[in-house]
Amino acid sequence: MYLIGSITLYLGIAIAAYSIIANLIGIKKQSSRWLESARGGVLSLVFVSLIASFLLLYLLATSQFQFEYVAAYTSRNLPLVYKLTAFWAGNAGSLLLWTVLICGYTAILVFSREKHNPMMPYVSVILLLNILFFFTVMVLGGNPFAMTDMVPADGKGLNPMLQHPGMILHPVTLYLGYVGLAVPFAFAIAALILKRMDAEWIKLTRRWTITAWLFLTLGNMIGGWWAYLELGWGGYWAWDPVENASFLPWLTVSAFLHSVMIQERKGMLKTWNISLVIISYILTLFGTFLVRSGVLTSVHAFGSGPLGTYFLIFMAFMMLLSIYIVMTRYQMIKKDTLPIESYFSKESSFLLNNLLLVAGAFAVFWGTMYPLISETVSGTKINVGAPYFNSVMSPILLLLILLMAVCPLIAWQKATVERFLKNALWPFAAGIAAAIILVAFGVRGTFAIIGLASTVFMFATHIQEFVQGTMARIKATKENALTAACRLTKKNQRRYGGYIVHIGIAVIAIGVISSHAYSEEVLKTMETGESLAIGDYELTFKGLSEHTKNGNGIVAAELETVYKGKMDGTIKPEKVFYETWPEPSTEVAIKTNFTEDLYVVLSSWENRDKVTLQVKVNPFVSWIWAGGIIMVLGTAVALIGGKTTSSRVSKALRSGR
Amino acid sequence: MRTKVLLAIFILSMVLPGPAFAEFDENSKEFQNVVKQLDMQGHADDELSSCKVKQIYYEEVVEMLNSGMSEEEILQSYVDEYGQAALRTPATDKSGLVAWGMPFAGMSAGVAIVALWLRRGKATGEKEEDMLSEKWESQTEKEIAEKMFEEERRKQF
Repeated sequence: MYLIGSITLYLGIAIAAYSIIANLIGIKKQSSRWLESARGGVLSLVFVSLIASFLLLYLLATSQFQFEYVAAYTSRNLPLVYKLTAFWAGNAGSLLLWTVLICGYTAILVFSREKHNPMMPYVSVILLLNILFFFTVMVLGGNPFAMTDMVPADGKGLNPMLQHPGMILHPVTLYLGYVGLAVPFAFAIAALILKRMDAEWIKLTRRWTITAWLFLTLGNMIGGWWAYLELGWGGYWAWDPVENASFLPWLTVSAFLHSVMIQERKGMLKTWNISLVIISYILTLFGTFLVRSGVLTSVHAFGSGPLGTYFLIFMAFMMLLSIYIVMTRYQMIKKDTLPIESYFSKESSFLLNNLLLVAGAFAVFWGTMYPLISETVSGTKINVGAPYFNSVMSPILLLLILLMAVCPLIAWQKATVERFLKNALWPFAAGIAAAIILVAFGVRGTFAIIGLASTVFMFATHIQEFVQGTMARIKATKENALTAACRLTKKNQRRYGGYIVHIGIAVIAIGVISSHAYSEEVLKTMETGESLAIGDYELTFKGLSEHTKNGNGIVAAELETVYKGKMDGTIKPEKVFYETWPEPSTEVAIKTNFTEDLYVVLSSWENRDKVTLQVKVNPFVSWIWAGGIIMVLGTAVALIGGKTTSSRVSKALRSGR
Repeated sequence: MRTKVLLAIFILSMVLPGPAFAEFDENSKEFQNVVKQLDMQGHADDELSSCKVKQIYYEEVVEMLNSGMSEEEILQSYVDEYGQAALRTPATDKSGLVAWGMPFAGMSAGVAIVALWLRRGKATGEKEEDMLSEKWESQTEKEIAEKMFEEERRKQF
């Protein structure tokens, strides 16, 4: 097994190197045979990486503790599903996951309908460089098939925090996003090398970029959901360096997805779009470097080791290569750019959107790196935690929400103030009405009220857009409202898919603002029969019980809950004592309804009749998950049917150039 | 008489158990204000029940509040002991200017660049529009010429 595993890794290096060379010879000699051979190499890489992956899955499932990785992340009594998902619990396994995903992506590309596109060999080379790097790194410092000196009787087991459905999906979705960003990057570099400054590479990668963004969104959302349910501190986003690392490319890709529309329509922002794609890809490497280098402390990090250095070198290489190619083609990119016609236009609002998103990314990057910068420059350790990010990012995110509220109301090319004001009247009035209602109901907190009112404004704008479009269609086609709404969306999936994503963001914003501004918390020691009141809830402690499940000891506190004066069943926050883990794990008890979550943690106990509980009421947290689902649906709508914007200008730019 | 009353209060305060004066606990607003600013040696976001470090900090802060220290004094005592790293954010005085100011400086620079780019782009556009209207007699002629320029450009770069 060790031999097969190790051979697959070395074979991976050899085949990747061969495929790169074959592609380069094929490009130089214009030989389809060499290019075909390189394609065969990519297929072999898929095969090799799949063998390695299935082998690791087999070793994990059958508890082969003679392998370091299996012994470090699984144990005999671990449920099979978690034995299998331990695949990405550690450094070496996650590298293999990354490798198999990028091999798969590359194969899909080089065998796609566009396989004879002149850009494809270059794209293949860029992606193969990534594959070569990952196989090499596994051999040098992250071999999932490394063996132990002595075979232990049982493995160390999987961290209990990772034994959660969220952890089955979170790393995979995030990696699908990370790896997906290598595709637009490869196309951008290929287009630059070939001096094809038109929008073709954008057209070819549009779906790839949206898919990568979709997976990044999903990865971040599932990560937040997992943190909320599993970590027990009552939040979903801690602005941890590794969380920030996954948020950074999300911000830059969001900027790209907007600015790319300007390039398609007007041929503008070419350098900017290429820069955004390069930055997004580099940021994925940066995130991986952060997780594996140990330079910053994080609950998500895999610890320190030489891998960080390898990633730093690769990141620097890719960055320098990109800068060199962009610089040598700069004069080409500069050409064909059409000027903006009016400051008050959709183009300008998209520029502002890009500015805010990139400023947000810069702020997050700066905050993440500042402890390191400060320590290096002045020798003083300074922390940059959640309060810093909340303070810095809140105004930026508020401005983004406001921009999302007005942007759909502004026309392309040249908007008129009168028309804009006419369109903005009702959504704006809805925002103001929301603020008045909140104040009238006794809601306090100026910033939160401004945030919520702005979100309502944004939400209303998008609803108005749907309503106006549907009405216009009903008038023209005499269809019923539902058919008209469906067909309206279907006719312009990209636009309305985007609007659905914005609505999802509005729903998330309500959850984030409310849960930050209006959560309540009580820490109380209670005896049997004693009650505590928090928000609309009253909890009565009924007693502590002990039992075992899957060989793990469980201590649970039973609490009777009353919501708004009515019995609402019982909840049982638990502490689980795993056989293979030194620390007990907290199982939070959550009662969710439409407007709030009751969140209870069993903190400690003196005896069966006396416990200390941490109780929280978090308003509108479920809206965050609902908003995430809406975002995914909207992205799917845009992804399935969206076509690149065709306009006279973009057609002219594409044709024959 | 006044002296007697003060003496009685003093004796009572010595005799009564400590908790009678413990007006602050983990649910106090003052406590929450303090702990949300403390980094707790990197354990601020840990789950309380399983984190010994966080528990110690919680106990210490409650004790300090009950001993009469203000929120600022407590935070300062931690800063004195551990330096600025005791807190979760950089200082808001001069020493933290770079940390706090850089995101806004970056954004301001971005605004300036975009504004400049827009102005230049608009001015160039207007100029080009004037030139184009004078130079090309037909769209076909313009397209052919552009194609030729493009081919030359590709050769050059």
